[in-house]
Amino acid sequence: MRFALVAAALIAWEAAARSGMWSPLLFPSLASIASELGRLLASGDFLLEAWVTLERALGGFALAAACGVLLGMLMGRSAFVAGMLDPLLSGTYAVPKLALFPIFVFVFGIGSLSKIALVFLECLYPVAIMTYHGARDVNRALLWAAQSMGASHAAVLRRVVVPATAPFIFAGFRVAVPVAMIVVVITEMVSSADGLGYRVVYSLSSLKTDQMLAVVVVIAALGWALDRAVVLLRDRLIYWEKLDTYYV
Amino acid sequence: MRTARAGLLLLALAAWQIASLHGLPSYILGPAEILRDFATALGSSELYRHIGASLARSLPGFALGTAAGAALGVAAGVARWFDRMVSPAVFLSYPVPKIVMLPIFMLWFGIGDLSKILIIALACFYPVFINAYTGARQTRTILVWSALSMGAGRARIFRSVVLPSAAPLIFAGMRVSLALSFVVMFAAEMINARSGLGYLIRVSENSLRFDLMWVSLLSIAILGYAGDRLVRAARARMLGWQGETP
Repeated sequence: MRFALVAAALIAWEAAARSGMWSPLLFPSLASIASELGRLLASGDFLLEAWVTLERALGGFALAAACGVLLGMLMGRSAFVAGMLDPLLSGTYAVPKLALFPIFVFVFGIGSLSKIALVFLECLYPVAIMTYHGARDVNRALLWAAQSMGASHAAVLRRVVVPATAPFIFAGFRVAVPVAMIVVVITEMVSSADGLGYRVVYSLSSLKTDQMLAVVVVIAALGWALDRAVVLLRDRLIYWEKLDTYYV
Repeated sequence: MRTARAGLLLLALAAWQIASLHGLPSYILGPAEILRDFATALGSSELYRHIGASLARSLPGFALGTAAGAALGVAAGVARWFDRMVSPAVFLSYPVPKIVMLPIFMLWFGIGDLSKILIIALACFYPVFINAYTGARQTRTILVWSALSMGAGRARIFRSVVLPSAAPLIFAGMRVSLALSFVVMFAAEMINARSGLGYLIRVSENSLRFDLMWVSLLSIAILGYAGDRLVRAARARMLGWQGETP
């Protein structure tokens, strides 16, 4: 019942593919996509390609996570830093950082580094902004209680501020992870000779639609798996507060 | 604080300008040159043509995606059967980078503007759907009860209770979608287009016209910033009774 719509869409797809009204170039059948998928997953070359994409996404995300949490914490706990950086962050928030990619290519080269740098820049915003809001709104009563019991600055940070901010940090991570995948795939589609985004463009230009859709399925699965990983990690670390949305 | 901020900004710009005079690589122009090139470009019709082409793709896509997202999201938040039917599919496909569908959209809808508009709409759909859904579900039961006890019908409750309580989150989703619409538009134009800012930046990169590259970069930055301001102004106007939410 839950996935009735998904099943219906798949059945409709297969029916459209088999009806012969459209060329298999436009509508490859699910069977041919699945066989392409099996062939790709069995080849070492392709797995290496997927690894390249994953490495870029995770590398940029990890850098952004570290810097973003640090930046957000500083902004949340210091009015001066917040006053300096908040206008900068919210002013450039809606500017597509992707436009910097050509310049990054000149600066960092056409390889992985320019892509990781762009992923870092795009992921930095959600992590820093969410961490900032979390760290700023830590319950005052908790801070006072800790201080009145003689907790040092470091102890307050470690025992009160960080745990209270953690749910916000993970909310930022959950926004940032799909962003990392989007940016990597886009940059690989635009200019690259490896990675999954390149394979999408390459299969299309060699008119292998079934192969292209198989790569799309792999990208989708990767995006989904990364999101699950973040949620699992979150529920393990923040055991005292369950994620309160309905489906996720 | 304001003066400190302005001073820091001026200092950074001055440092950039001085560095560009003393041997930064040729692809990094100084702020003064960028401004001069931008002014020159504003004097010719070329830049307006590309901006127009970009907006003609991103705005319809944004409108289509957010309208569908808000309508379906609120519907799924209100009607249980619709929720059961639609939401699993949406949440399953949510973490998938939508831009990978661009090639297949180009096969289905042609390489013209339609495929780009539809891919932008698809990308804009998700943030608004999820926020509208969450917002409608978070409607406080006690408000619905008081409306019921005062004799409001289902349509009235929907209009006067559910929609206002979902609106702040819908606007937050629209803000995310707007930023996303520019990113996807730019990507689509870099991958395949004959006009638009993404095309312009790609062409100027290939022909080493660094002045044009920075001009298109500045234009897209201004567009993104102005769009964000517009959404925030609309939110402040329509939801003045609501406090600022992150």
